[in-house]
Amino acid sequence: MPTFKLDGKTLPFEPGDTIIRAAWRQGIEIPHYCWHPGLSAPANCRMCLVDIQPKPGQRPLALDVLEWDAKAGEYLPRQKPKLQPACYVAAADGMEVLADTSEHVRRARHDVQEFLLLNHPVDCPICDQSGECKLQDYWLDYGQYQKRMRDEPVHKPKGVVFGPTIVYDAERCVMCTRCVRFMAEVAKDPVLDMRERGSLNEIIVAPGRRLDGHYTFMTEHVCPVGALTTKDFRFKARVWFLRTARAVCQGCATGCNAHLDYDPRSNRAYRYRPRDNEKVNKFWMCDEGMLSYKEAHDGRILEPKVRGVATSAGKALDEIKTVFAGVAPGSVAIVLSAEHSLEDNWALYEFGTVLLGSKNVYVTGRRDGYHDDILIHRDKNANSTGVQQIAPVAKPLRMLVDDVGASRVTHVIALGGAAPVDPEALGAATMVTIAAHEGPLSRLAVVLLPATSWAEHSGTYVNAKGMRQVSEKAIEPLGVSKPAWQSIAQVAAALGYEASWTKLHEIRARMTAVKGIPNTARPPAAVPAE
Amino acid sequence: MEPLDMELEEGELELPAEPMHLNMGPSHPAMHGTVRIVLELSGETMVKADVQIGYLHRGFEKMCERGTWAQVFPYVDRLNYVSPMLNNVGYALAVEKLCGLVVPDRCQWYRMALGELARISDHLTCDGAMAMELGAFTPFLWFVKAREMVWDILEEETGARLTHSFGRIGGMANPPTQDFKGLCRAALPKIVDLVEEGERMLLKNRIFIDRLENVGAISGADAVGLGWTGPCLRATGVAYDIRKAHPYLKYDEVDFDVPVGTKGDTLDRFLVRLGEIRQSKRIIEQSIDRMADDGPINCDAPSVILPEKTAVYTTIEATIQHFKLIMEGAKIPAGEVYSYTEGGNGELGYYLVSDGSGTPYRVRIRPPCFQITGGLSKLLEGRMLSDIVPTFGSLNMIGGECDH
Repeated sequence: MPTFKLDGKTLPFEPGDTIIRAAWRQGIEIPHYCWHPGLSAPANCRMCLVDIQPKPGQRPLALDVLEWDAKAGEYLPRQKPKLQPACYVAAADGMEVLADTSEHVRRARHDVQEFLLLNHPVDCPICDQSGECKLQDYWLDYGQYQKRMRDEPVHKPKGVVFGPTIVYDAERCVMCTRCVRFMAEVAKDPVLDMRERGSLNEIIVAPGRRLDGHYTFMTEHVCPVGALTTKDFRFKARVWFLRTARAVCQGCATGCNAHLDYDPRSNRAYRYRPRDNEKVNKFWMCDEGMLSYKEAHDGRILEPKVRGVATSAGKALDEIKTVFAGVAPGSVAIVLSAEHSLEDNWALYEFGTVLLGSKNVYVTGRRDGYHDDILIHRDKNANSTGVQQIAPVAKPLRMLVDDVGASRVTHVIALGGAAPVDPEALGAATMVTIAAHEGPLSRLAVVLLPATSWAEHSGTYVNAKGMRQVSEKAIEPLGVSKPAWQSIAQVAAALGYEASWTKLHEIRARMTAVKGIPNTARPPAAVPAE
Repeated sequence: MEPLDMELEEGELELPAEPMHLNMGPSHPAMHGTVRIVLELSGETMVKADVQIGYLHRGFEKMCERGTWAQVFPYVDRLNYVSPMLNNVGYALAVEKLCGLVVPDRCQWYRMALGELARISDHLTCDGAMAMELGAFTPFLWFVKAREMVWDILEEETGARLTHSFGRIGGMANPPTQDFKGLCRAALPKIVDLVEEGERMLLKNRIFIDRLENVGAISGADAVGLGWTGPCLRATGVAYDIRKAHPYLKYDEVDFDVPVGTKGDTLDRFLVRLGEIRQSKRIIEQSIDRMADDGPINCDAPSVILPEKTAVYTTIEATIQHFKLIMEGAKIPAGEVYSYTEGGNGELGYYLVSDGSGTPYRVRIRPPCFQITGGLSKLLEGRMLSDIVPTFGSLNMIGGECDH
């Protein structure tokens, strides 16, 4: 692989990489506002300027400047190197680049920063970006100067509603055009553009349009400053109080990697941020997915219920014991859920097929929906493939409706509340449902046990491409809910069976042993001792 | 009628001489804060004295490791809370050593003057309280009167009488007030007058002298072996003072003497402290003479020093600077440092480790009292019970500093 030198450090690069991308691949950040690894490079912010050394024997690129000489008391002609944007110049074999080590580069960053903040409003205390703002970071890293301009800053429109999700503040904008390029290049809907020039420059929505569609949140996500904010997160939380968990989006079978930001003090999830994964979602997420963090709180089942009346877990388990007394295993059906994690499904599968000895395995989940060829998948369940791997024989819920109608099944133990078909006919069976969210199956249940959502426990999900991904626990369990695999062990105990698991890692080990499903959450194997 | 004990030998009349166990503290007025001494007494003689600290425990160092570097200042105020300014300056010097910062000359003189005021307050409290515990209430009131004068100056400068939180990384919270020099020049002679008045009353008092002289004596070698520093060490005749031995700030540019004792007993410790008050007066006078009336008090280091408040409200640059320093804390370069200064009771050391973030990775404090209190049982064993009060009082153990 060819290499070049950045500040004396030899870095490999792939042919065609720009300097900034080659450095980024090695985990070195050259400061930038307008460059984004997932977008084209306009080279308009000038923050990534670097000093490229001339090849041996070549004349250096230089600028003639007048510089104030305090000793002489006058401006004297000098030369300084012509800096070039690292986001636009391709790395070349043997190239020598100076960034942090060049006095001229540091000076350029300082001056670019001063220009960008020239008309910036004093908004940090009320700005949602505060705490994760590039303007703040780079001022500390490269600025550290005080304001020299004494004029009134230029005022521009604030609080401009761009569409149903995004609000724009032109005064905070640094005109990097990341949002413009995202809409044009990734969302393929060039609805944003710029108008005017210089200090009147601002971002606008195409006349007659709104900023809408399925990827509007990403314009806020790529915004390096607080110019674009989402109506959803605006003024809701201060980012330095939030903690983050590495989650997997539950909105569809794509399984986008995300950061789930939550406030541990109020035990509430506040937002998703895409987590970079070249193989799954690159840098992006869709609007539906970005808003799906709300499902950690909305439509949740938080207490056990018997025939729709809230009760204690003990009484609910007693009721299960009563309604299951003397039932033949052959007439019991278990319903796995494509919404729930591998661990939850495995617990129910093992309980149903091994302990109860039932052969009737079905699968439920959410209905198919909108899809596109960017990220959004038709299948709206996070773990359909995972259920397939556990129980390839699982029959669709439609067949359970038929089987209940024909009295081949009288008792049902179901995971998850959602159903892809109208399940009203299941009312004829005695149903126990363990679910995190309200749905048709939770309403039909004789006994309903609350489960934790993906945000409250660690779980493995297999996306449509067959990739196993672990979603970490963020908030503490809400209400009296507990992970479904724990409730299933309790149901088993109530019916006189002993589950083989008491801990999550036991389920994971068992899935590996029985089904050969690799244990994603297992730490790397220790190096054997000599 | 014959006496009952007619047949008995005289020796058999004595009561069985089993040692008596007695708890002194942790809640005892002479136990300065909360220390417990478990005594084994034979009559009134202490056979064994087991000194136990730990009744005042706040998890001090761990608390310091949870906020930003600047948020440590209020905590170190509560080390030796009779001279918080010395702790503030000591911590500031430690962090500055880690950053490679040197504060402007004006600030160095200011820190010296304030620190020596705090030392006067510390010594007045120790000697005054010791006299009071031996029944001499009047000198205590005079000494505290003098201490009030010190605290009036500190209040004028910092806004607080006791816990000032006045130190800053790279400077002080505020420049000296216009009255500072005048206040010092007016108060210092009065303080020394009061000290002399108290001295005349105590040092001609037979009872006072008898209770101090030759009580709780320790040799210089033993004191060094125990890790003693400060006035307690100097009372044994070892002239080790960090201000002389390893000068910091501008201590190498001022004239002052290091008072030492000869016997290392309680009286020597009492006298060394009184001597140091006079030396502190000399240092303060020289410091305020040489401190400029204007000029910067803080380093020119935007990465650690807060911007001016009016600028924070009106310009984005200062807002960002303020935000970064308050919300994330000043980023101190990764590394470790041991920095030590002469505190009220001896070597006050800070061992700091930075991982380059805005929060200290490790704050280890070497409080002088910890080592000194460690030698208490050695001083007490074999002495009479009543010797505890002057001996313990003369060590000036401060609970907040002994928090380990």
